[in-house]
Amino acid sequence: MRLNPLTAKKLNRFRHIKRGYYSFLAILFLTVLSAFAELLINSRALVVHYEGEYYFPTYGEFIPGDTFGLGYSYETNYRDLKERFKTEDSGNWLLMPLVPYDPFENNEYGGIFKPTPPSFSDRHFLGTDTTGRDIVARLFYGLRIALLFSMAFLVLTYVIGIAIGCLMGYFGGLVDLVGQRLIEIWSNMPFLYVVIIVFSVVPSALSNISRILILLTIMVAFSWMGMTYYMRTGSYKEKARDYVAAVEALGGGPIRTIFRHIIPNTLATIVTFMPFTIVGAITAVTALDYLGFGLPPPTPSLGELLKQGTDNLTTAPWIVASSFFALVFLLTLVAFVGEAIREAFDPKKFTVYQ
Amino acid sequence: MKILHSLATLAVPLFVFWGCSSKSDESSKEKDPELQAKAESLKAEVEDYYRTKVALPIEVQDQLENGEVTQEEIDQRAAAGDFPKFFQFKNLENLPTDLAWEDGSDLPEIGSPKAIKGGTSYGTIQDFPRTLRTIGPDSNGSFRTLLLDDVAVLIAHRHPNIDEIGPNGFRYIAGLAKEWAVDKRSQTVYIRIDPKARWSDGEPITSDDFLFKFFFMHSSYIKAPWYNNFYNRFFSGITKYDDLTFSVRVSVDKPNFATYVLEDIPIPEHFYGELGDDFPERYQWRFAPTTAAYTLKDEDIRKGESLTFTRLEDWWAKDKRNFRYRYNYDKRHIRVVRDVAKSFEMFKKGELDAASLTLAEYWYDKLPDDDPLVEKGLVKKAVFYNQRPRPPYAMWINRDKPLLNDRNIRLGIQYASNWQLVIDKYFRGDYQRLNHTAIGYGPFTHPGIKAREFSVDKALEHFAKAGFTERGPDGILVNEAGAKLSVSLTTGYTTLKDALTIIKEEAAKAGLEFRLQIMDNTAGFKLAIEKQHEIHFMAWGYGAEMYPRYWETFHSVNAYNPDGSIKTQTNNLNSMNMSELDDLIDGYRASIDSNEMIKMAHRMEEIIHNDASVVPAFQIPFYRIGYWRWRHYPDDFNLMISESSSEFALSWMDVEEKRRTLRALRSDETFEKSIKVYDQYKN
Repeated sequence: MRLNPLTAKKLNRFRHIKRGYYSFLAILFLTVLSAFAELLINSRALVVHYEGEYYFPTYGEFIPGDTFGLGYSYETNYRDLKERFKTEDSGNWLLMPLVPYDPFENNEYGGIFKPTPPSFSDRHFLGTDTTGRDIVARLFYGLRIALLFSMAFLVLTYVIGIAIGCLMGYFGGLVDLVGQRLIEIWSNMPFLYVVIIVFSVVPSALSNISRILILLTIMVAFSWMGMTYYMRTGSYKEKARDYVAAVEALGGGPIRTIFRHIIPNTLATIVTFMPFTIVGAITAVTALDYLGFGLPPPTPSLGELLKQGTDNLTTAPWIVASSFFALVFLLTLVAFVGEAIREAFDPKKFTVYQ
Repeated sequence: MKILHSLATLAVPLFVFWGCSSKSDESSKEKDPELQAKAESLKAEVEDYYRTKVALPIEVQDQLENGEVTQEEIDQRAAAGDFPKFFQFKNLENLPTDLAWEDGSDLPEIGSPKAIKGGTSYGTIQDFPRTLRTIGPDSNGSFRTLLLDDVAVLIAHRHPNIDEIGPNGFRYIAGLAKEWAVDKRSQTVYIRIDPKARWSDGEPITSDDFLFKFFFMHSSYIKAPWYNNFYNRFFSGITKYDDLTFSVRVSVDKPNFATYVLEDIPIPEHFYGELGDDFPERYQWRFAPTTAAYTLKDEDIRKGESLTFTRLEDWWAKDKRNFRYRYNYDKRHIRVVRDVAKSFEMFKKGELDAASLTLAEYWYDKLPDDDPLVEKGLVKKAVFYNQRPRPPYAMWINRDKPLLNDRNIRLGIQYASNWQLVIDKYFRGDYQRLNHTAIGYGPFTHPGIKAREFSVDKALEHFAKAGFTERGPDGILVNEAGAKLSVSLTTGYTTLKDALTIIKEEAAKAGLEFRLQIMDNTAGFKLAIEKQHEIHFMAWGYGAEMYPRYWETFHSVNAYNPDGSIKTQTNNLNSMNMSELDDLIDGYRASIDSNEMIKMAHRMEEIIHNDASVVPAFQIPFYRIGYWRWRHYPDDFNLMISESSSEFALSWMDVEEKRRTLRALRSDETFEKSIKVYDQYKN
C-alpha cells in the first residue's frame, strides 16, 4: 500500500513522539496477548499426557473427569489431576498455564472462600477477590472484554456520528437545521436512566452475550452525537474548498464526495478523538459495572473489582490496589497515544493556509 | 409488598408537626374556616358511617368479591336489618359480668432494672424516608420500624420470652390496656384502656380513637387496599361501653383470634381532621401523635441528612411494668449513610454506637477478635441466638415456565444446588441449611423434612429422566432436540451476589446452567411478583406469629386467574396449583383446633417438599453485633423473639463512660475484653 506522503510524514512524526509510540506498542502487545489469554491464564491444562496419549484441553470441548479416571462426568479439575499424577508417579504428566486459574472458579483459602493475599506459591500473583477468584484472571479477562467492548463502541459511534455529521455539513440548510434540533433533543435524554429502565425490563431469559450487546447498543445510541458536531463543521469547511467543487463539476454525487474526498481530508479530527473515545468507553463501562448496571455477573470486569476493593479497603487492600493500578495504567497508555496522535496529525504543522 | 405484615404492624401512630412545605398552616390552622368546615364535614361523615356501617359475614364478602351478589342487594338487605351493625354503643351495665380479666402481670417483666436514662444513641439508615406516614403509598419502608413497628405501644404485647401456647394463643402483657378479657364463644375481646394512656401531644387515648381506627382503615382516603380488606374481613364489629372500655369482635375463628385485636393500636381522631382524598400528600411530612416514648420535632428533621427522635419527658408509660426499663436514650440520632462500608468505618471511629456483624466477613475479618479495638476492650462483640419464624431464603421455582413444569427438572435442580457448600465455605459454617419454608413455629414446624443434598449423580439421573442425557461442548446438558438445560436465576439481593455465583459454578458440574441476573431490590421483587421469573432467590419477612401462612404463597387462587392466566401481584412465586394442597390450605384456614392445624401444616410441608418447587437455601439462627463499651445490654442480652438488638429498645448508655472510652481511644488505657455468645435460646 502506498501511503499519501503527508500521511507517511504524520506517521513518522508519531513514531518520534516516544512516549506515545511506546504506549501504542504496549497497548498493541496487550491486545495481542489478550487474544491468547486462554494459554496464559486458565484452569485448563495446556498439555496432558495420560496413558500414552496427548490431550490439549485449552480450546474446544470440555474433557470430563472420567477421561482421566477421576470418576466424574463434569469438567476435569486439572490442578487436582496434576497433584494426582505427582503422587501416582506413573509417567503421566501435564503442563498448566502460568496462572492456573480461570476467572470464575472460587478458590478456598484456609477452607473458606475469602480474599487471599498475593502469593507466588499458590500462583495467585495478585491475590484473590471476595469469593476467592483469582484477581490476575479477573483483571486480564476483564481488560480483554473492556478493550473489545470499547473497540466495538468506537467503530459503531464513529460510523454513525461521521455519516450523520458529514451529511448535515455537506447538505446544510434544512437538513442541517432539522438534524441539529433532533440531535439536541436526543442528547437531552438521561443516559443512566435509560440504562436502568431498559435493564429492568430486559427478560432474564437472555444470554449474557445478548445482554452485553444490549448495553453496547444503548451506549452507542446515546454517544454518537458528539462526533457529529466536529464532522459537521469539518464538512462545512471542506465543502467550500475548490477540490470539492472540482469533484462536483466532474459529476461526483454526494456519497462519493463525502466518503471519498471530504472524510479523508478530515481524518486528522477523527484520528485525534479516537483514543479519548476509547478512554471514555472503558470509563463508562467501568462506572456502570461499579453501579451494578453494567456487564452481567459473573462476567469479569474492572468496575466490579473496583467496587469490591472499596468495600474491603482495610481487610483486602490488594483488590483495590490491583484494579486501581490496572485501570490507571490502561487509561494512561491510551491517553499518551491520544496525545501523540494529536500532535502528529496537527494540520498546522504541515499545511499553510492561504 | 415485600414483607408480609405481621398483625403488630398494622397501624398508624405518630406525632404532630408541620413539614417545611406547610409552615404557614400552623398559625392559621385554628382560624382557617375552610379547614374548620372540612373537619366538621368529616365529623358528620364519621358519625354517619358509625350509624350505617354493617358487618358482612365472610361468605357474603366472598360473594360480593366474586360478583355473585351486587352492592345494591347488600345495601337493601342491610337496610332491612339483615346484618348486625359494625359500630355499637352500649353502657357499662351491658358489659358481661362473667369475664376473666387478665393483664399479664403474672409473667416475668422484660428489661433490666440496671438501665439508666440519658444520653444520645447514634445510628444510620440507608435512605431518607420518603414519607413520615406509616400507611399509604411509600410508607412500607425500613424507616417505619423506627416510627411504628419497634416503638409503638400496642393494646397488649406478646411476651417476647415465652413461646408456650395457652388457651388463647400466646401469652400477653399489658400495653395500652389496663386489662383485657377474651370471650371465645363470641370471638370477642374486651378491653379496659389504661387511664394514664396519652397520645404524645397530651390528649388522652379513649375508646373513640379505636372506633375511629375502623373508619380510618375502611376508608378509601388512605390509599391502602390491603388494610381496607384486612379490617373489613377479619373484624365484625366494635362496641363502646364508655370512654375507656370497648370490645372488638373478630370474624375469623382461629385459635389465636385475640391476637388480631390485642396487637393493634388506635388512630388519633383529633389529628386527622383534614382526612380526605389528598391524604397521602397532605400528611406526607406530618407526624401523627403516637403511643410511643419518642417524638420527632420539626427542627430535628434535616431532609436527606438526618432525623433525631426525642424522648418524651413525661411519657405516660414511663413507670409502667414492662416499659419502665426500656426506651432509655434521651435522643436517638439517625443519620443517612448510603454506603454500608462507610457506616462501618464510622462505627470503628466511635461515631456510631453499634454495628451489625452478622455477615461472616464482618465478624471474622472486618472486626476480628484480635482487632485492637476489641483487644483493648473498647468494642465488645456479641452473638445472640434468637428463636422466631425464620425468613426462608430459598430459590422459588416458577412451575409455569417451560422446563420447570417438569418435576424431574425441579428435582434435578434441587440436587444441583450446592447450598451446603455456600454455608460451609462462604458463610463459614455459621448459618444453617434451611430444610423447608416454615421453620421456627414450634409444633407447627415439620420436624422431619430435610432439604435435598448436593449430588451430581442424583441430579444427572433426574435430568436424564427429563430427556437431558448428553453434555454439550461446554459441559451443559442438552436434550435430543438440542435444547440446553439453561434457566435464569434472578435476585434482588445484590449483597448475596457472590453466593449465587458459587451456586452457578457448582450447578455446572451437574450439567445445569444458571443464567444469573442480579437486580436492585425493587426491580428484583417486581420481576418476581409479576411472575416473570424462572427461578427467583429471595426470602419473605415473617412476623413472630403462632403458625405459618400457606394461603398467600401456595394456594392456587394466588397462582392463576379464573380465566387461566397468570395472576400477578401475589406471593405465590411457584405458580403452585395443586388441588390437594388447596383443600388442605382451605381446611387449615377454617380450622379452629391447633392440633388439627399442626397435622395439616405437616402434611402440606410434605406435599411442598415432594413437589420440589422450592429449593430451601439457608437460615440465620442468630444476630451478631459489635458495640462500644459505653452501651449496655441486660445480663441475658436480649429477648427470645427479637430480630435485632435494638428491636425492644432494651439498651442504655453511660455518658461518662463514653467520654472515658473516647479518651482511651487515643491513650494506652485498656479495659476487659468482651466477646460473648448468648445461646440460651439456641436449639
